[in-house]
Amino acid sequence: MLLRYIGRRVAVSIVQLLGLVVVVFFLIRLMPADPVARLVGLNASKEAYAQASHSLGLDQPLLTQFLQYFGLDGRGGGLLEGHLGVSWVTNGSVLTEIGQTLPVTIQLLTLSFIITLLIAVPVGIAGASRPGGAFDRGVFVYGLFGGSQPEFWWGLMFIFVFFFKLGIAPAPLGLVNPMDMPSEPITGFILLDSLLRGEFDVFLDVLWHLALPTLTLVFILSGPIIKMVRQNMVRALGSDFVLYARAAGLRESTVTRYAFRIALAPALTLVGILYGVMLGGAVLVETVFSLGGIGQYAVRAVLAFDYPAIQGVVLVITSISLGIYLVLDLVYAVIDPRVARS
Amino acid sequence: MSSADFTLIREATVPRLRRLRGHGLTIVAGLVVLAILLLAVIGPSISPFDPTVADAEPFLPPPNLSAWPGLLWAALSGAGTPVHWFGTDASGLDVFSRVISAPRTDLSIAVLANGFALLIGVPAGLLAGYFRNWGTETLMRVSDVLQSFPVFISAMILVALAGQSTVNIVAALAVLYSPIYVRLMRAEVMTQGARGMVEASRALGSSEVAIAIRHVLPNSLGPTLVQSSVTIGFAILLTAGLSFVGAGVRPPTPEWGLMISNGASGIMLGQWWPSVFPGIAISLTVFSFAALGDVLERAYRS
Repeated sequence: MLLRYIGRRVAVSIVQLLGLVVVVFFLIRLMPADPVARLVGLNASKEAYAQASHSLGLDQPLLTQFLQYFGLDGRGGGLLEGHLGVSWVTNGSVLTEIGQTLPVTIQLLTLSFIITLLIAVPVGIAGASRPGGAFDRGVFVYGLFGGSQPEFWWGLMFIFVFFFKLGIAPAPLGLVNPMDMPSEPITGFILLDSLLRGEFDVFLDVLWHLALPTLTLVFILSGPIIKMVRQNMVRALGSDFVLYARAAGLRESTVTRYAFRIALAPALTLVGILYGVMLGGAVLVETVFSLGGIGQYAVRAVLAFDYPAIQGVVLVITSISLGIYLVLDLVYAVIDPRVARS
Repeated sequence: MSSADFTLIREATVPRLRRLRGHGLTIVAGLVVLAILLLAVIGPSISPFDPTVADAEPFLPPPNLSAWPGLLWAALSGAGTPVHWFGTDASGLDVFSRVISAPRTDLSIAVLANGFALLIGVPAGLLAGYFRNWGTETLMRVSDVLQSFPVFISAMILVALAGQSTVNIVAALAVLYSPIYVRLMRAEVMTQGARGMVEASRALGSSEVAIAIRHVLPNSLGPTLVQSSVTIGFAILLTAGLSFVGAGVRPPTPEWGLMISNGASGIMLGQWWPSVFPGIAISLTVFSFAALGDVLERAYRS
């Protein structure tokens, strides 16, 4: 039963992903944008234009381009073999470039989500323990507020206060001191690499540079997550089994612990969805602090009409999101077998 | 007092407190939304300077707070020269005039995008919920694929490749937000379809299309209208974010995100005013739309 459910969900995800790639491929080529003109400039001669168009393969019929991208034209080396193509701007492999930028975003997001959860869960539970109280009202308003804020502006405000006024944060110019020679990456995650090498000064320096971007994201993300934890806790505390536990004379802390287990699952779903959304949504914070993550890579690709890079970014981000949803669904199916049956 | 008494007291006081909390926040949020709507209509005509023409020194700081009462008095009595209340930005544009002219850009984009998303999503959701066959199943799968796109990056792609204009931002946001409405509408229609009135009209011999439009549609609109307030808020955030990364409206259009982006480099040098004021405007506006959406949702549910 469970295995069949897993199989079906994986199959659906793969079909969804393929559909997405096809849609993106044709959509961006049907748009009235001229990537060749963007590459060679508006004053280029007709010959130069034609040559550039030919080298990008844009003079071929749409269907031929499509088969080439998937590697179905007999020459191989397409998407089906794991190649995302070559960037039109840098001539580098899109897969390599994403491999360099994606860890930056994942590192920032993971750090931010861990800190957010450490704050949001206790605050949400505390709010729910006395619904309607002063603290709960504050929690409620903050939940609405944090989730509806322009994070890029808050990032700038934090730079103004902590870098310009107080001078305790570094300039928002990336993750490492520009004077330092970057070491050869091992995993691509700078924090992890520095620990693996035992370079604790680098580790602390990167953490210092990550402080304001993380603060910005925690400030924004904790809104919806606090709101969700509070709401689920209120609901769980009002349920029959909590009433029974109270009637049976269990201590309030024990009752809270039971209720929390029930409230956790929907909150985890929200965390999973938000993580997927933020993979693309972190672009604004990355831009403010010049972190060079996958979001900034996407901006560069889009503004340069770099089609292979655009396709690659959308494909990678969506795959990770779908992967997260899949894992969440599977965890649910294991916890609650009724899910798999429906 | 036993703990049971406490529970009783708590239950008795909670509803009243909740109503109060709802009221204060609702009034503030409502006033902010009204003010922004008003500015969208009259903002550009009451701004003291032309929001798109630079005719002052760049980076003029705003007047000191202590000087404000005197300046306000002079401005209201018609004496003295116009004041740069919020200072000027890097190109010498008046920040105050741009902040109050921007709602016309931001709000029109958000409201229109939401309107078109409703126009796409509501009929599609009605069809998908009322007539369930392979055609509408396909529609739902298309909507699923649309919904699994990363929103910000997709908006960026659509707008940049179609050409960075207001019209294209509206179109892109409408397409990206419509799946929410398809889903909401479909779910609501499916619960409505099971109700007695549908069965009754069918017995009276009404055609299926007539039942769907006359009875099911008006009864299913509630959740989509509640969602509208939230969507408009998010559309403002997205519009501002697009201009912030350079993929939205073009300068010198007065737009909050663009203004913050232009002021970003000055922040590190202590020139805070070009980006602080538009940011406060976005922050307040989107928060108010979210708060209104929350109030509407609770009113609808109870």
